[in-house]
Amino acid sequence: MESSSGAAPEFDYLFKLLMIGDSGVGKSSLLLSFTSDAFEELSPTIGVDFKVKHLTLGGKKLKLAIWDTAGQERFRTLTSSYYRGAQGVIMVYDVTRRDTFTNLSDIWAKEIDLYSTNQDCIKMLVGNKVDKESERVVSKKEGIDFAREYGCLFIECSAKTRVNVEQCFEELVLKILDTPSLLAEGSAGNKKNIFKQKPPESTDASSSCC
Amino acid sequence: MKSANNSKGVMEDNDEEEEFEHFDDFTLASSWERFISEIEAVCRQWFADGPKNLLEKGAVQVNQLKDLYTIKSEFKYATKSYCMEYYFTTVDDGKTLDWDHALHDLQLSFGVKEFVVIAPQSASGVVLDAPEASKLLSAVAIALSNCSCLWPAFVPVHDSSRKAYIGIQNMGTVFTRRFEADRIASQVPVKLMHLEGLYELFVSKFAYTAVDWSMNHFEVHFKMKLTYRTPIHDDEDEIHDPDADITGSSENPEGEMHGKAQWDDNFPWSKWYSAEDPVNGFELLAIWSEITAESSLDMAELENASPVEADKWFLSPCLSEYLSDVSDGSTIGFASQLHLLVKALEMSSEAKFIEDFISVFANSGSEALKSSAVVPPQTVLDRVLKNLFHEVAETEINSSPTEHKNSRSIKGAPQESLFAQFCLHALWFGNCSIRAISVLWIEFVREVRWCWEESQSLPRMPSSGPIDLSTCLINQKLHMLAVCIDQKHREAEGQFVDANDSMSSQEDLQSPTHNSSSHGASKEVSDRKDESSDAANVAKPMMLLKSHKIMHAPITLEPPPMTEDMHEERLKAAVALGDSYSFSAQLETEILASDMSAFKAANPDAVFEDFIRWHSPRDWENDENEENGASESSSWPPRGKLSERMSDLGNSWRKIWNEAPAVPASEQKPLWDPNREGEKVLHYLETLRPYQLLEEMVCAAFRAAADTLNRTSFGDLKQMNIKMDQLCITIASVLRIFLAQNTTTDTELLEDLRRLSTTFEHIEKLVLLAASLHVKFLQSPYLGQAIFTDCFNFYLPNMGTSSANAHNDTQREFDKKQQIRSGDRDLIVSMFPPPTANQSWRRVLSMGNLLNGHEPILREIIFSKRDRASRSYYAASSPKLHQQDIETYRMYVSGTSNDLGVALAVASFD
Repeated sequence: MESSSGAAPEFDYLFKLLMIGDSGVGKSSLLLSFTSDAFEELSPTIGVDFKVKHLTLGGKKLKLAIWDTAGQERFRTLTSSYYRGAQGVIMVYDVTRRDTFTNLSDIWAKEIDLYSTNQDCIKMLVGNKVDKESERVVSKKEGIDFAREYGCLFIECSAKTRVNVEQCFEELVLKILDTPSLLAEGSAGNKKNIFKQKPPESTDASSSCC
Repeated sequence: MKSANNSKGVMEDNDEEEEFEHFDDFTLASSWERFISEIEAVCRQWFADGPKNLLEKGAVQVNQLKDLYTIKSEFKYATKSYCMEYYFTTVDDGKTLDWDHALHDLQLSFGVKEFVVIAPQSASGVVLDAPEASKLLSAVAIALSNCSCLWPAFVPVHDSSRKAYIGIQNMGTVFTRRFEADRIASQVPVKLMHLEGLYELFVSKFAYTAVDWSMNHFEVHFKMKLTYRTPIHDDEDEIHDPDADITGSSENPEGEMHGKAQWDDNFPWSKWYSAEDPVNGFELLAIWSEITAESSLDMAELENASPVEADKWFLSPCLSEYLSDVSDGSTIGFASQLHLLVKALEMSSEAKFIEDFISVFANSGSEALKSSAVVPPQTVLDRVLKNLFHEVAETEINSSPTEHKNSRSIKGAPQESLFAQFCLHALWFGNCSIRAISVLWIEFVREVRWCWEESQSLPRMPSSGPIDLSTCLINQKLHMLAVCIDQKHREAEGQFVDANDSMSSQEDLQSPTHNSSSHGASKEVSDRKDESSDAANVAKPMMLLKSHKIMHAPITLEPPPMTEDMHEERLKAAVALGDSYSFSAQLETEILASDMSAFKAANPDAVFEDFIRWHSPRDWENDENEENGASESSSWPPRGKLSERMSDLGNSWRKIWNEAPAVPASEQKPLWDPNREGEKVLHYLETLRPYQLLEEMVCAAFRAAADTLNRTSFGDLKQMNIKMDQLCITIASVLRIFLAQNTTTDTELLEDLRRLSTTFEHIEKLVLLAASLHVKFLQSPYLGQAIFTDCFNFYLPNMGTSSANAHNDTQREFDKKQQIRSGDRDLIVSMFPPPTANQSWRRVLSMGNLLNGHEPILREIIFSKRDRASRSYYAASSPKLHQQDIETYRMYVSGTSNDLGVALAVASFD
């Protein structure tokens, strides 16, 4: 599917996504489940992993470059550089382990603020391992509350049963497609003139930053 | 005259009649009659329309007056053409207009609300001789009375500078008001300079004409408004301290200017430029609203009164003209220099190498380059470099000034960083021409290379820490270089480089009691399985599983710092490999192996499980009931196991563990080579394309300038904070688009950047204004804020649109006033310092009511005499009138001791 001949580009948009969260919450499994419809017990990620996924959504051909980072503290200084230029960040926690959820606000949300170079980047909160319903300790409502507070998308899924895995990535991408500034970054060459898009002194600009 | 009226027949006030107007026969009427009839027709129309309809028909707002509109119509009479204007207000609340409102001259002079003015369409717009004026006035008066309209009508007479008018108003059946105004612009009779004389002038008007009334009572009411202007700090006065007087006043004041404190000395921009104070001074209006005087003596007494005794005080700032200037780049500031920088950017694509811009002058380059040929002399260059590299105050490096939360989103460099400072210097170096920039850059890179060769730490740059990828690439490169220099320096000293915390590692190394067996360890590891919730465990050391010895966290190698282009390369490589091959994080694997080696060296008895407990605590699962620390120490080893994924057979972690030799970090091969990376950075800087340099400079300069302005303290001004936020957001989004187009110069993009500098200019002016007001009202900030809010609301609408429709808006003047609370009067008085002896002998004071020795610049008085209108006299007149007092005489006096304008309105029944 590479290098289709002629002028037509291989894809309309290239988006960079990043997956973060504590170690062992199932980031790599989630990614594998999404990219190759498989579930297997994976070795812990060393530092960072990377997958490419092509998909067509809303009539647009998309290429997703998804960076899967290791959750271990030792790797955190390394992974910080992968936040750069990401249009979407997926924050994953394990619904059966409360600390992975609390660490999102204690650690990971702060990391995003610190390292993300993109003001408008879309954040998504994902509660993984809902297949272990009996062991669940973090309720769906808590997840929703967190998402509301931090202004992110929210979904619960299971990498193992593949429940909501597709939706998780698709919803994030749809949201990116809805955000003009992110769209402009992802597209090749299409520039937008912001002075023509909106009056320079729009008063609501301040609200969008927080 | 009557015939003109008759010729129109018995016209009723209804619109249908007007339709037939054209069929009236004017053949017998004189031109004068026709003229009156024309005026009448127009007045009728206006009268019938009323304010609402007139507004729809294109009435325009009179400059700067909130509620005054005018509509006009033109007439021809004889050879001249005339223009009649009807001024009207939309709100008729029956209140008399006061001078708290902004009023039209005629409204103020004669105490009228709506009125008609007729004037010839000549160049000066004024009827020059009195007979013509009165003829014109009577024409209008007849026309108005024909349509029983009660509007006063005015005709200007004489030279326009005299502001002389005559006027008449029909006030119902019996009353008529006559108006007259004139002005003496010089050589005012001494008598009329003082309140006494003005009082007598007024009294003489009715004492002379009104024979019906008793001659004994001259009780008049009046209000007075005095305007004071804060003294201008002219330089001559400033330097005239007693000593200077002796040494000779002929001394050139310019020479002493340098030592003098500028108003903006303490503001962040003063390092770069000195701005004109946007607030030139203040005007204080002191108003006595209701005074009654019975004799000249009362007036003489009043003249001695201090304005402090006035009923109301209002303050309005006198703002510098440059605030309302349509931005043409003439005002010097960051914005003007940013404009120049954008110009330099435009030219930067003309050459491939930065050196070309310097050498091109030897063999006469393009015209455009020639015009910007100014390069400051070597001494200036040396001073700039010295400031950049050597005059670094300790505070500048350490303090991270409160950065604007949005400024990080601008891809520039932190305000105090080396590259940001370079950009700010470049803005002012040789007028920011491409040539001056090139000269400065080459010297700058030379200086940076010197630091590298000599292992001197790079000033204004942190020598450690992760590289902030949100900054511009040059800043990242300089940060990288600073880290390399630091590393090189330490290696040269044979000092081991510690990844964790340089302070603690040095302590450990020097500590003689340190366990020698665990070399290369920095500290004992506490059980941090649950660091966030279980604080008790933090203090407790972790024990090795097999040997029950204390676990030591090894000193590990520092991961290599990376700039964004290096990340880009890795990403490209990963994408190139694509899905076919799982991305192997080579570097990360190396780091993990290095950590394992160091761990083994620090803990010779450790097993893989121990490493996992330290490195990836979540992959070690304690048995449920052994969670708490107490039972753990009693029963060793703790029952637990590796997580499923970590204990898999093919686990890559265990593979690496098995292969890793026990080598302390100090003896390991470093993960990166500072010598190589440093040289690469310098190569990048030395071969940077002019366009790339300018691109980065534009971004960094915008951010640094915004950051500098942002450090200005202007008090708590919400709207200003919002503006700063918006500025940062706007800059960030424009620059993001700009950077995305890194191909060639695009005219539209350059236009965007120019517009951005213009936006910047607006904000810059507002910041200056806010700062100026802030320092002037430190004692009562809310007053400063209130005045700023007025200015802000006044200027902002213009600023938003100035680029689009600069010319169709007539220049309005700021005229908002703030009422001063009595508590703040002291502060205002302090703005009027008593004049020095030197000043006072130079001035001739001829008016009273001095404020700290300053006389008012304008005195306005409205005298009025009211008489009860008795029922018997005006039985048939409108019911409104006979119940209340009627103002029979009104005199408005305005001016100074040497410029007197008087307007008189007399109501009479005849």
